[in-house]
Amino acid sequence: MSKKEIKVKNYIIKTAADFFAPIGLILGIYVILHGHLSPGGGFQGGVLVASAAVLIYLGYGYEKATKTLNVNLLKKSESIAALMYSFFALLGIFYAANFCRNVFYNVGKPGDLFSSGTIFLMNFAVGYKVLTGIGFLILLMFGLLNNEEA
Amino acid sequence: MTQHLPILAIISLFIGAFIVSLIKEKNTTLRNTVVLIVTFASLIFTLMMYKPIIEEGNVLTYWMGNWEPVQNWAIGIGLEVDQLSLFFGLFISLSIVLSAMYSFKYIENETGKDKYYVLFLMMSASVMGFIFTGDLFNMYVMIEIMTFASVALTAFRNNRPEAVEAGFKYIAIGSIGSSLILLATVILYAQFHTLNLAQLAGEMYNNYTVASIFALALMIVGYAVKVFAVPTHFVAPDAYMAAPSSISMLFSGIVNKAAVYGILRIIYVVYQSMNLPTMQFLLIFWGTVTMFVGVTMALAQHDFKRLLAFHSISQIGYVITGIGLTTALGITGGLYHALNHTLFKGLLFLCAGAVFYATGTTDLDKLGGLAKRMPQTAFIFLIGAFSISGIPPFNGFVSKWIIYQATYEAGYAPVTIVALLVSVMTLASFIKVAQSAFFGQLPKEFKNVEEVPLSMRVPMWIMAILCVIGGIVPNIVTKYLVTPAANAVMNASRYVEAMMGKEFASKFYNNLGSAPVIDYKLAGYWQPISWLILFGVLLLAFTLVAVLGGFNPKHFSYADEEDAKYDVFFSGESSEFSHVAGSDLFWGLKYQFRHYFDFMHNIHSGIVNDYALSVVFTAAVILLYVFTFVR
Repeated sequence: MSKKEIKVKNYIIKTAADFFAPIGLILGIYVILHGHLSPGGGFQGGVLVASAAVLIYLGYGYEKATKTLNVNLLKKSESIAALMYSFFALLGIFYAANFCRNVFYNVGKPGDLFSSGTIFLMNFAVGYKVLTGIGFLILLMFGLLNNEEA
Repeated sequence: MTQHLPILAIISLFIGAFIVSLIKEKNTTLRNTVVLIVTFASLIFTLMMYKPIIEEGNVLTYWMGNWEPVQNWAIGIGLEVDQLSLFFGLFISLSIVLSAMYSFKYIENETGKDKYYVLFLMMSASVMGFIFTGDLFNMYVMIEIMTFASVALTAFRNNRPEAVEAGFKYIAIGSIGSSLILLATVILYAQFHTLNLAQLAGEMYNNYTVASIFALALMIVGYAVKVFAVPTHFVAPDAYMAAPSSISMLFSGIVNKAAVYGILRIIYVVYQSMNLPTMQFLLIFWGTVTMFVGVTMALAQHDFKRLLAFHSISQIGYVITGIGLTTALGITGGLYHALNHTLFKGLLFLCAGAVFYATGTTDLDKLGGLAKRMPQTAFIFLIGAFSISGIPPFNGFVSKWIIYQATYEAGYAPVTIVALLVSVMTLASFIKVAQSAFFGQLPKEFKNVEEVPLSMRVPMWIMAILCVIGGIVPNIVTKYLVTPAANAVMNASRYVEAMMGKEFASKFYNNLGSAPVIDYKLAGYWQPISWLILFGVLLLAFTLVAVLGGFNPKHFSYADEEDAKYDVFFSGESSEFSHVAGSDLFWGLKYQFRHYFDFMHNIHSGIVNDYALSVVFTAAVILLYVFTFVR
């Protein structure tokens, strides 16, 4: 991504987007991964990650945002994430408990990142689904906005 | 294994939806296979619940993630399947399978098939979830998924402007209904700090507060919007007409039935309010108005599917009247009619879809004489039409007969008379459909239409056979399906006990475990076998006359038959095409009641603001009624 190709109208917004998008991504992923240890979780973290898509749109415009983010991949990922969630939730049934039951919960030391069994993976699946779903929706809505202007 | 069946029946459909969304649109075979497998899996999981629940009389409870109640306080999400849930679940999962089978050919030539099946499976899964859940908020979530999937499916043929408009109307009206349900859920949660249906039922037993009565009124209106009871029904004909027929079948077969289930669950089990005569009167009055307005509007229609949509509203009126009676006979009749309505109305919508598939239109004024080209569809349509009009020996007769008896026994003789009248008018309007779509003259542009493919006929035949079975052996159907469900409706304490344990239930109920035994006998003069013989004799006589040429007037022919130009004389009366179109029948009735019909046409204005206003008006009236009379 060489800087000459990018046409931007407002350097303040672009600079702010450059600065905040990585923070949004890192914070979002942190919140998703630490859902079982700290406040927040899959949904909140997913929305934070998806806010990076908004920042890219604001800083660089719609075309750059659709080039950076593969809309079809987002759509497919959402279904894959939903299937992941169903699979981890069904693990509860395979391990002789109920649907959505947290299994392998006594692996690792309490307080560590990998210490909570499948609830961690379910949380991750929710986060993945929300970040792809909301990212896709945001791009879709901005696409509609663009069409109206043209 | 048994305790996992409800969640498997729900999640298999959801997983199917997610898998289908990954399949490319062109890959029809793979997608159809997945859809067929998951819908069948859901049906089989539901059927496997029959033995433990209906036969042995257990109530299946299931706590998600093993979050069981602590100190009689339900903190987790629970599923609870009793006989009532399973009764609805059985025929709902069956109609999902049949609709999926029908869809394969029916939407073959449409674009966006991948999205169609994703939404189809989402809607089916949400209805299954709604039926099997034991949690008030879960019910709201599922009805919201259901509404949004239905809206998107209504607008599926988005190259037609009326489909998009109907989708918009549906989302506006449906959202008002959902919002009312959500508001009621919030109020109940604020009042009782629990969302579990069984715990709520226990806490609310003989313990109404102002807030819970407010929530009751909102719940009734919210589910009435979903069930399309009369002042909130305006959006139904638009939506049913615009949606593909396989989806219209699901709208009347499962979405409506889910809302009927919601009403039953809320007023009978959660509130246990039906011992109040005012609540009974409310439902009976509402149901009677619904059935009357629905059928009179159906008489005036000239579009096949729109007519069926109004009949759907009318038949739901019977169901509401039946369940409003609170007698064992009334609930049996209401539930039986709900089952029958799913069968025959699904059948009729599939027939309308077959006509659309073959001819490209559902306008009765343009159709005619299709029985010659599509004999099987015509025959199946007649079975459906006889069933819905309540002609013995078909299933509609049995359930309507039970409802007549129950209303009369309960002292609502005027309701019996209205119900009989509505039944007659139903028959009249189906004579109109039969005459103008399947009999009479075949317009020349439809001379080459062909019978629909086998994969579309099979679901229709299955439903037709079930319609006949439901009419010939009503005592078996009632004994093994309807009576257990009616028992479950009338025995809320058992629901509470199964979910929350004996200790919790005994705090509220004195007489645990003593189910009110339904003293059920098919009173009256119902001899299915002799009716069947009579029907067979009449059919034989009819066939004989038809074979001998009695119904085949030769003196009408087309002016431009291939050989007409070689005839010496070709003008004159014999060449004139004089088709009696759908709108021409019953013109006298329409003229005599022109003021009523004018009024009705004016209020069905098609303006969504008016529709929304009528929902708000209904909510206001019901709130007033409930606060004044229900204590």
